[in-house]
Amino acid sequence: MYLPIIVVVVYSFNESKLSSVWAGFSLKWYDELFRDKSMLSALGNSVLLALLSSGAAAVIGTLGAVGMSRAKLRGAKTIELIATVPIMAPEIILGMVFLAFFSLIGLPFGMLTLVIAHTSFCVPYILLLVKARLAGMDKSVSEAALDLGASELQAFFTITLPQIAPAIASGMFLAIAMSFDDVIISVFVTGVNTNTLPLKIYTQIKTGVTPKTNALCAIVFACSAILAAVSSRVGKKSA
Amino acid sequence: MKKIMVAAILAALVLMPGCAKKEEAKPALSLYTWEAMFPQEVLDAFTEETGYPITYSNFDFDETMLAKLEASNGGDYDLVIADDYIIEEAVNLGLVSQLDKSKLSNYGNINPVYQKPFYDPEDLYTVPYGAGVQTILYNPDKVLLDINGYKDLWDSTLRDDIGVIANYRVVNGLALKVLGESYNTDDLDVIQQAGDRLVELAPNIRLIKDDNLQDDILSGEVAAIVGYTSMVTMALIENPNLKVVFPEEGIGFGIMAAFIPSKAPNSEAAYAFLDYIMDPERGAECFEYLGYYSTYKASDPFISDEYKSFLTLPEGFATNMEMIQNISAEANEKHEQIWTLFKNAAGQ
Amino acid sequence: MKTWRFRKAAAFLTALPLYVFTIAFVAGPLVLMVAISFLSRGESWGYVLEPTLRNYKGIFEPAYTAAFAQSIKLALVSTVASVLVGYPFGYFMARLSPEWRSRCMVLLIIPFWTSSLMRLYGWMTIFRANGVLDSALMAIGVIKEPLKLLYSFPAVAVGMVYTLVPFMIYSVFSSAEKLDWSLVEAARDLGASPAQAFLTVILPLTMPGLYSGIVLTFIPSMGLYFIADLLGGSKIALVGNIIQEQMMRVHNMPLAAAFSVVLMGLTSLCLLAYRKLAKTGELEGLIQ
Repeated sequence: MYLPIIVVVVYSFNESKLSSVWAGFSLKWYDELFRDKSMLSALGNSVLLALLSSGAAAVIGTLGAVGMSRAKLRGAKTIELIATVPIMAPEIILGMVFLAFFSLIGLPFGMLTLVIAHTSFCVPYILLLVKARLAGMDKSVSEAALDLGASELQAFFTITLPQIAPAIASGMFLAIAMSFDDVIISVFVTGVNTNTLPLKIYTQIKTGVTPKTNALCAIVFACSAILAAVSSRVGKKSA
Repeated sequence: MKKIMVAAILAALVLMPGCAKKEEAKPALSLYTWEAMFPQEVLDAFTEETGYPITYSNFDFDETMLAKLEASNGGDYDLVIADDYIIEEAVNLGLVSQLDKSKLSNYGNINPVYQKPFYDPEDLYTVPYGAGVQTILYNPDKVLLDINGYKDLWDSTLRDDIGVIANYRVVNGLALKVLGESYNTDDLDVIQQAGDRLVELAPNIRLIKDDNLQDDILSGEVAAIVGYTSMVTMALIENPNLKVVFPEEGIGFGIMAAFIPSKAPNSEAAYAFLDYIMDPERGAECFEYLGYYSTYKASDPFISDEYKSFLTLPEGFATNMEMIQNISAEANEKHEQIWTLFKNAAGQ
Repeated sequence: MKTWRFRKAAAFLTALPLYVFTIAFVAGPLVLMVAISFLSRGESWGYVLEPTLRNYKGIFEPAYTAAFAQSIKLALVSTVASVLVGYPFGYFMARLSPEWRSRCMVLLIIPFWTSSLMRLYGWMTIFRANGVLDSALMAIGVIKEPLKLLYSFPAVAVGMVYTLVPFMIYSVFSSAEKLDWSLVEAARDLGASPAQAFLTVILPLTMPGLYSGIVLTFIPSMGLYFIADLLGGSKIALVGNIIQEQMMRVHNMPLAAAFSVVLMGLTSLCLLAYRKLAKTGELEGLIQ
């Protein structure tokens, strides 16, 4: 799992512009990276976008899965199928259709269109994982709580939510990763001020990817590793 | 975990408007092109000297750019740099504004070879920024024959040893050139013949891709490539022993050019930027960074010796060149079919 | 009765955001896509309002049917490999202590927060002629000549599995984690062999997870054409490639839309078939 990342990190210190040649240790690409303001603001946009869209998807997806598991709702199967379409349809056509759709309903391109488009493909991850977890989960506990006079909300927050929390968490991890990496849909629905990081990386085709990008990935990787380490610390203390 | 996420969202929300609110004396220039088209120094110096901050947005393919420009009706962006053929379509769709050359004091620096191209036959709309030719590059240590043209790529000693760019008009076109035809033929039978020739070429093809092809010839993955100028430049700087061949059948070339969309919100900044990069010295700096042919004659003398032979157009070249242009929808579909068959054959 | 109705209304309200979002922002664009697939292409770009079936006829060109076959083959190979790798991984992850579970989960996903393109470039550096793997193998004397590993079907399959296996692991994990181990013990006490216990108790109970894992790996693997492009040297033309080329190079948006509709229909069919075969619906009922 980590092998390719290590290679990427190692080659970020490569003096040469080419990945097939090792020309000695150098920090020049990090220097270049920090001088590139647009790269850094793109990083900010990407983080914000990933958090907003996976957050929105977590709320929508979890509530949807819980609601559907509680009672047989009309059209539930259909809605579920349609909701998973964004991960079924090829991204390129989805991006194009979103572009046409947003300009049809007159939404200006920018963070809002990005968040809507990203939420649409984040929802299925949460929905499917939470559903898989709810399926066959012991309902008697939450029913007992209801019988004992707990309100629906109380039952949900004290019984159901803790039980499905791992599924929501893994769904969000995946959703963040997908959002953080998406370029094909973003490129169509982004606006003037909302370049994202993958856009920066993928649109170097005219000139070829430079180790500057390696350096950026190394930093993103280091940050997420630190964040993960910190969060597991915090999690342990609060537990 | 939750707390951290909330904190991060809040931090981001607080920081974002903060970033945008920097005292902007002048409205930003919204530049729309691929990533890494300009050295950071040039962008920074432009902002410093003229006071226009730059918002640099990127697209992956020319078509994405056209779709976005159509959706915004020629607005949103102030200056776009894209490939030749797509500009012709943008002009036809009325998305491009005519240039006011009186605002471009350096306009005369443009190399006349790159003027009056098919996409802008009267030089009304565009300023070229970099050009490239499709070139064969091979490693003489590994290739037994002397390659002079595209026809030599069919040689059986090159089995599974060639890398080509993933542009179907270029690759199908090399077969058309071998047949002595134009890149831009609308004759479906001729295109089909080219497709048949390509299937014969397939066993020699190890690799079809658009980016970083230079890595594969340098590492020894392939012995010969058909690539763009920027790839050839990068490969030669690393390994000067590689041999460059401008195919005798004819040379395909393409131009990237800048235009101002019809409803650009800040065209003043766009003119200022265009004039800025057409300055001879700054142009040279840009082309060395970009790795494509210099399109400004006045910049040629400023290109350093290391790059000179790669970035200036060789003498007597223009006679044998042909640009890839837009063709009929039927011909285009035929091209796509023979291309898919070619890829399938190469994958066997 | 009254409470039942109340609870149904509550359930509906809970699911309402999903309904609204799905209908507004997924079904809407989707209808547009299906509509476009029945229209004619515009002069140079986009589409015009002239209904036609031409796009669906165009799909049956031999060049394109071959690509469909190729895509399905690759999707099957990578899904099976993901199950083989991901199922045991997710299963054993669920048996770890809660602390290690969350640690594993985080460790598993961190690599996926960095650009997939860059990770693929990492693989390319490893597989390349005279690259990391070649050099290592030559250093310990296993091979003398560089292997030509990159740009082959196995390289593509490795890239696919690498990209998709976390989905499988997560799905199996979230299903296996809530498994009631007393059932397994009961089966063992009643004389079932470990294999029998696995087949009769564990596998059926983790089926929903396996199912969603397959959904999450099989479907994307049909569309992840850039993996095939980078690691396979573009020699393997997948449906995704064709859609992209139709859209971006040939400017035939309606044909691209028609391909997408067929691709989605095909994947839905595969899923339905799987659901029937695996009878996951019944199993869910059985547990309740």
